[in-house]
Amino acid sequence: MVTAVKPNTSSNTLRREDLFRNPPKDKSAFPALLNAVRPHIESFNVITAEGGLLDLARQDIGVKCVFDGKRDGKWLGNKLSLRIDKIYVGKPKISERDKTTLKREIFPTECRERHITYRGKLSVKLGLKINNGPWVSQDREVGNIPIMVRSNRCHLENLAPHDLVERKEESEELGGYFIVNGIEKLIRMLIVQRRNHPMAIIRPSFTGRGKSYTNMGVQIRCVRPDQSSQTNVLHYLNDGNVTFRFSWRKNEYLVPVIMIMKALVETNDREIFDGLLTTKDMEDTFLTDRVELLLRTFKGYQLLTRKENLQYLGEKFRIVMGVSPDMSDVEVGKEFLRRIVLVHLEDPRDKYRLLLFMVRKLYALAEGTCQSDNPDAIQHQEVLLGGFLYGMIIKERAEEYLESIVKEVRREVQRGNVLDFNNKEHRTRMFQRTSGNIGNSLEYFISTGNLSSPSGLDLQQVSGFTVVAEKINFYRFISHFRMVHRGSFFAQLKTTTVRKLLPESWGFLCPVHTPDGSPCGLLNHLAHKCRITTSPSDVSSIRKTLVSLGVTSPATSPLPHSATVCVQLDGCIVGWCSPKLARVVADTLRFWKVEGSHNIPLDLEIGFVPISRGGQYPGIYLFSHQARIIRPVKYLPLDKEDLVGPFEQPYMSIAVTPPEIVPGGSTHVEFDPTNILSIVANMTPFSDFNQSPRNMYQCQMGKQAMGTPGTALRHRSDNKMYRLQTGQTPIVRSPLYDEYGLDNFPNGMNAVVAVISYTGYDMDDAMILNKSAHERGFGHGTVYKTEKLGWAEERRSRAKESRKAYQRIGIRQDWLRTVDMDGLPTVGQLVRDGDAVAVYHAIPKEGDRARPENKVFIYKGSEDAYIDEVRLLGSEGGDNKPMQEISIKYRVPRPPNIGDKFSSRHGQKGVCSQKWPSIDMPFTESGMQPDIIINPHAFPSRMTIGMFVESLAGKSGALHGIAQDSTPFRFDEENTAADYFGHQLKVAGYNYHGNEPMYSGITGEELHADIYIGVVYYQRLRHMVNDKYQVRTTGRISELTHQPIKGRKKGGGIRVGEMERDSLLAHGGAFLLQDRLFNCSDYTQTWICRACGSFLSTTPSVRGSNFGSIVRCRRCAVPATGLEEEEMVWEDGLGGKFVGGKDTTVVAVPYVLKYLDVELAAMGIAMKFNISP
Amino acid sequence: MDDYDTIYGSDRGPQITIKEADSRHAQIVLSNCDLAFANALRRIMLAEIPTIAIDIVEVQTNTSVIPDEFLCHRLGMVPLDSTNIDDKLIYTRDCFCDQYCERCSVTLSLHARCTGEDNVTVYARDLVVAEGAQLGSPVINDPEGQGTVICKLRKGQELRLKCIAKKGIAKEHAKWAPTAAVGFEYDPWNKLRHIDYWYEEDAKEEWPKSKYADWEEPPIEGEPFNYDAVPSRFYLDIESAGSLPPDEILQQGIKYLQEKLATVIETFSNKNEVGDGFGDGVRSPAQDYAMGGMGGGGAGYETPYQGGRTPFGGGGFGGATEYGGSANGWS
Repeated sequence: MVTAVKPNTSSNTLRREDLFRNPPKDKSAFPALLNAVRPHIESFNVITAEGGLLDLARQDIGVKCVFDGKRDGKWLGNKLSLRIDKIYVGKPKISERDKTTLKREIFPTECRERHITYRGKLSVKLGLKINNGPWVSQDREVGNIPIMVRSNRCHLENLAPHDLVERKEESEELGGYFIVNGIEKLIRMLIVQRRNHPMAIIRPSFTGRGKSYTNMGVQIRCVRPDQSSQTNVLHYLNDGNVTFRFSWRKNEYLVPVIMIMKALVETNDREIFDGLLTTKDMEDTFLTDRVELLLRTFKGYQLLTRKENLQYLGEKFRIVMGVSPDMSDVEVGKEFLRRIVLVHLEDPRDKYRLLLFMVRKLYALAEGTCQSDNPDAIQHQEVLLGGFLYGMIIKERAEEYLESIVKEVRREVQRGNVLDFNNKEHRTRMFQRTSGNIGNSLEYFISTGNLSSPSGLDLQQVSGFTVVAEKINFYRFISHFRMVHRGSFFAQLKTTTVRKLLPESWGFLCPVHTPDGSPCGLLNHLAHKCRITTSPSDVSSIRKTLVSLGVTSPATSPLPHSATVCVQLDGCIVGWCSPKLARVVADTLRFWKVEGSHNIPLDLEIGFVPISRGGQYPGIYLFSHQARIIRPVKYLPLDKEDLVGPFEQPYMSIAVTPPEIVPGGSTHVEFDPTNILSIVANMTPFSDFNQSPRNMYQCQMGKQAMGTPGTALRHRSDNKMYRLQTGQTPIVRSPLYDEYGLDNFPNGMNAVVAVISYTGYDMDDAMILNKSAHERGFGHGTVYKTEKLGWAEERRSRAKESRKAYQRIGIRQDWLRTVDMDGLPTVGQLVRDGDAVAVYHAIPKEGDRARPENKVFIYKGSEDAYIDEVRLLGSEGGDNKPMQEISIKYRVPRPPNIGDKFSSRHGQKGVCSQKWPSIDMPFTESGMQPDIIINPHAFPSRMTIGMFVESLAGKSGALHGIAQDSTPFRFDEENTAADYFGHQLKVAGYNYHGNEPMYSGITGEELHADIYIGVVYYQRLRHMVNDKYQVRTTGRISELTHQPIKGRKKGGGIRVGEMERDSLLAHGGAFLLQDRLFNCSDYTQTWICRACGSFLSTTPSVRGSNFGSIVRCRRCAVPATGLEEEEMVWEDGLGGKFVGGKDTTVVAVPYVLKYLDVELAAMGIAMKFNISP
Repeated sequence: MDDYDTIYGSDRGPQITIKEADSRHAQIVLSNCDLAFANALRRIMLAEIPTIAIDIVEVQTNTSVIPDEFLCHRLGMVPLDSTNIDDKLIYTRDCFCDQYCERCSVTLSLHARCTGEDNVTVYARDLVVAEGAQLGSPVINDPEGQGTVICKLRKGQELRLKCIAKKGIAKEHAKWAPTAAVGFEYDPWNKLRHIDYWYEEDAKEEWPKSKYADWEEPPIEGEPFNYDAVPSRFYLDIESAGSLPPDEILQQGIKYLQEKLATVIETFSNKNEVGDGFGDGVRSPAQDYAMGGMGGGGAGYETPYQGGRTPFGGGGFGGATEYGGSANGWS
C-alpha cells in the first residue's frame, strides 16, 4: 500500500506556528480534539438544558405531602403539598455579598490560580399548595454546584481559540472537567449494563436468594427519562416459578411475577398463558408444565382482579415507598408499579408485554434453547456518563431537600407549634431550619468521588467516581476523558473474566491502551473514532415504518403463529414478525437509516439476533437511547458512513480493509484499521511491528513522559507540574498527530540513537547519554511546585496569632536576601533549603503575653529552586479581604541526571547510567556522535521491531527533511517498511539497512561490526533520581524502638528485611549483618544485673559509689538495716537505703530487647539473661 | 625499532593534504602517521582547543518569558569569535583576579526592549562587545546578518544583561567546542578488514561507496590479505562551529597536541622535578612517593625505549620538539 497513498511528508510547522500566533477567531483548528471530550460536555449540557434531565427529574420526584394533624384522630389535618417547579443552575459569578465589583463573572483560570471551586448558583423554585388551594411558588437558593468547564453553564462555552487565549486558557481548552479547590477533576465514565434490554444471566449467587432459587435469571436495567435507573430481575425457581426482584433504597424485595402482571393490566390466567406460549410451544411440555405451575401457585394468594392485586401491593409497600398518608392502597400500588416496575415504560400494557417477554426468555434460558448473555461483553453494556450521574445526584439531593422540609414540618407539628402555611414568615422560618445546601454535597462528591446516597443510584460502587485530570503531559490529560472504567466493584473480584479482552470490543475499546497491574482490563480507553450518544434519537416514526414493513403490531391479538420474532424499540415491544421477515426488516431499516430516508436516525442501533440453536435469544432490538457507544464504519451498499453500536456488531460482517471484503457477505468496511486504537495508542509509531505488550507499555509511558502539560502554564498553579524545556516534534509520526494538534504539546526529543554495546555502561537497560548533547540542552526539564502559605489576618478564632503583612520592625538581614521589602519573595530569586520565602508580622491574640514580632516562612526542599510566580490571594466569600493567602510557584530545574528514566515510544525504557564525554563516544565517518547509546540486548527478547523501523524512518526523514508517516498497518509483506525507508537511505548515500561503520572514540579504530544508528524519538519520563534517592548514615530514630524510621521524606533508612538477612546469612556476611541489624540500628549500652539477669532492676545509686559500678541491682539489694558499714550502703533516687546488688555490668543490646522486656514485665513475665563471662 | 622510526624517524613525517576548504569546513587527508596520532588530533580538535563563550551572566532585567537560567544557557551556546585567543586571553584560573578581569574575559552587554506592538526578536548581533576587546564578538554567518535567535520580547518586556565571556575548552562544557563534528575515516576500501560489513544479499548494492574511495587504489581481486598493514591515511572533515575558522582549528589542534606531548616528555625527562610538569595542585602524597622512588631507576615505570629516554625526548630537543620545528611548515 506504500505506493497507493502518497504519504504526507510535511511537519506542518508553519501551520502550527501560525495557529499559535494567531489563534482562530471562529472555531478550533482541531475538531478531533474537541470530539474527544464531547461526551462529557454534552452529558452535562443535557442536565441543565431547557426540558433537560433536571426538568425530567423534577417531574419524576412529584409531589411530597405533609399534614399538620396530630395523628390522633382520623382527620389528618391540613395538607401541605410541596413540589419543585423549576431547578436553575447559574453561571459562576461573584458572591452577591460583594457589592463593589463590576465584572461579576468568575472564569475557570481564576479558580485554578486561587485554588477555589468553579461553581454556579443552584436554585429551585418550590411550589406549595395548601389542601386544594392554588400552587404558590417560592424561590430558594440551595448552594453553589461545581460547573463543568466549557459546558453550557460555563463562560467559556463555544468560545473560539482566540477568545480562550484572551481568558488565559489554552488555545485548545477542551473542558469536560470541574475545578474544585483549584484541582481539575472529572467524573469518569463507567461501564454499566445496557439499559432497557432484558438480559439472560446465569449467576451462582442467584441461588442464595432463597429456597429453590436457581442460578438463572433475566435482568433488565430500566432507565427513566431523567437517566436514573432501576434494575428488575426475574428469578427462575426450581419448580418453574418466577419471582420478580428489585432493590429499593438498598433493600431487596421479591414479588411473584404473576402478581405484578395482574396488577399492571386487567387480565386473566388464560391471557397470560396465551401471552407466554405460542401455538407451537403448546407441544413443548417443558414450557406448558412450567407456565401451568406458575399460574397455579399464584392461586394461593386469592387475588383475582387488578384492583385486588394493586391493593395487596399497595398495602405491602406503603411504608417502603414512603407515600403520602392520604393515598389509597390502590393508588400506592399504582405508584409502586410506576416507580419500580420496568420504569422505562409508561404504559402498563407495555410493561405487561415486556414482562411476558422476559418470562419467556427466562424459560428459554432454563430450557437451554438460548444462551445466557455475557454481562462482561460490551454488547450488553453502555456508558454511564459523568453528566448523567451528576444529574442523578442533583435529583436525589433535591428530593432529599423536599423530604427534609416535610420532616421539619412534621417535627414542628409534633412539638405542637402552629404552622400557618399561608404566613410568609412561617414559611421562611420553615425553610431556614432545613439545611438545603445541595451545592456542598455536590462539591464533596466531585472532590472525593464518594457517593453518599440513600438509594445507591442503582450502582455497584460508592466511591471512585471522580479522578484528578492530571496534567503531567497532554497525553495523560486527554486520556482521562477517553477512559471508561468497569467499576471499582470488579477491581476486588478474584476472577479475571471481567478483565478479558473480548472480540465484541473491537472498534469500541482500545485493545492496547489499558494499564498493567491491578486496573488491567478494567480501565479501558475508547477507540479514537468512537462516540457516545448523549441524547435520544428521534424514533417517532419508527413504529409506522415497521408496520409498513410487515411487522405485526402487538396490539393485534391473537398473534399469528408465524410471528415468533419479537421487535423491540428501547425495551418496548413494538411488534412481532416471522424469522424470515425479521432479516428483511433489519436489512431494510439499515439501508434506510444510512440513506437518511424514512426518518430513521443514523445512530439507531438495529440489533438483529437471528434464530439459532442455543445462541443468543432472537429478536430485533432497536436502540435509540443515550449513553450508547457508537462508531463510524463505511456501509458498502451506499458507500456512506454508518454508525454501528456494540449490540449489532457481532451479527454484522465488517471487513477490516477493502481487500478483505467478502463479496455478498460483508456489508461494511472499516474506514481505517487504526480506528480501533485510542488516541495515545495511535501515537506509537509502527505499533504493528511491535510485540503487543510493548505497545501497552508505551501507552503507559507516554502518559508518564515529562512533556508539555500546556501552553498557559503561567495561569496555572498545580501542585506539581513537569515540563520539558527542549521538546521537539517527532520526525516519525502518524497524520493523527497533527489531527489532534499534539504539536502544541511536544512530549520528547528526536535523538540520534546507536544500538551498540559500548563501555558496558549500557548493560541491563541502561543508556549512555552524550555529555555534549546534555550540555546543549538535551532532555532538560523543569518541575514546577506550588506552595500555599496562610496569610489570613484572622485565620480562625482558635488560631494562636493573627497575621498581618510584613512590617519593617525587627527584620533579620539574612531574610532580605530572598525576601523583598514587602515581605514577599523576589520573583526569579534562587532559594535554597532553609531560605526565607515570606515574612509576616505576627500579632499574638489578646491575653497572650508574647510580643508582636516578624516571623518567616522557610523554603523546605532539598533542591534549589527559583521563585517563579507569587500570587496574593484575597478571600473568596465576597468580603473582599485582600491577601489572605499567598501562593508561591517554585521552579526546580531538572537537567537529565544519572539515574533519570528515559524511554523510546516502544516500551523500551532505560535509565541514564553515564553522561559520556563526546570525544569518547563512538562516531560515524561523518563525525556524527549518537546522543544516546542503547544496548542491542534490549531487542531480542522484547521484539520491538517498530523501534528499528522508527530509527530507519527517523534517519531518512532527518536526511531528507521530511516528516515520516508512521501509521500502523501501512506496510505488508510485499511492500516492507525496511525496503521503503532503506531505499530513502540509499538515495541519501547511506547504507540500505541503516547501519554505519563507526569508530571508537577512544582509540579511533574502526569497530568490527557496523552499527545500527538512526533517529528515534525519546521521551524523558517523570521518574527522576532526585525524587527517589534515599541515603542515610545516621538520622531520626523511632521513639519507641530506637530503630531508624522509614520513609524517604523523613530521612529514614531502607529496611534490611528478612529476605535480605537470609541472603547475608547464606553468604556468611556476619560482620555486615551485625553492622546492619545492630550497630546501625538500635545499638544500646545498658546496665544489667549479672546476678539476677535483669535489665529492669538496675538503678543508679545516688550515694555510695565507693565500689565499682554506680548502678546497682535493686532486686539483689536488701534494704539497709542501719547496722552496715557506711561504705556498703547506697541510696536510690527516692532516698531508700540499700546494701548489695553491686554485681552489675554494661552490655550492648538492641534497644528493642529492652523494650520487649518492659512489655513482658507489664504482663507479669520476667526475662532473665545469663551473662558471661 | 621499528614503527616509530618508520613514521617519525624518517624525514617525511606526518603530512597533511587539504582537499577542500572554506570558511566553515575543511576536508583534509592526514597521511604518514599512525591511528593513535590521527585520533589524538581528532579528539583535541573536538574538545581541547580553547575558545571563548559566555560563562557568567549578570541579569539586571529579564522580563521576558524565558527564565533567567534558560536565557543564560542560550547565551552560552552563542558562538563568539575566538581567533588567536591564546595571544589575547588567558584562563581565569591562571589570572590574578578574583572573578574575572580584562585579561581573562570579555564583557558583552545586551540591552533589548520591546516598545512597539509587534514582538521583537533578540538576535546574537544585539550582543555588544565591550570597547577595546580584541575578540568575542558574536559569530554571524546568515545572510541577514542577525545571528542566532536568543529570545523574543513582547511589548514592555526588556532584557538588560551583562555577559562575561571566558576562555575554556569543550571538555568542560560543549559551548566551548570549536567544531560541530570532525569526520574521520580511514581505509575506504576496507583493505585492512577492520570492519566486517554486514549485508543481506549484495554488499556492493547495500553499502554506499565511501566518498574517499577514489583517493585510494581499489583492492585487486585475489590480492592476498596483508596482516601487518596498519592504517596510515586518514580523511578528516573539520566542521567549524563558527568561533574559529577550520584552518585555525587545525593549527591549534596541532599546537595543543604538541603541547600535551611536550608535557609528557618533560615530565618523563625531568624525573626529579616532576612537580613542575603537573602543577602543584592535586597530586596525592602517595604519588609523590612513588615518583620519588622512581628516581632510582624503577624499570617498571619507564618506557622500554632507550631506558629513560623516550623517542620524543631522546634527541634532546628541550622545549622545542620535532613538531614544534616543523609546525610552521604545515600551515
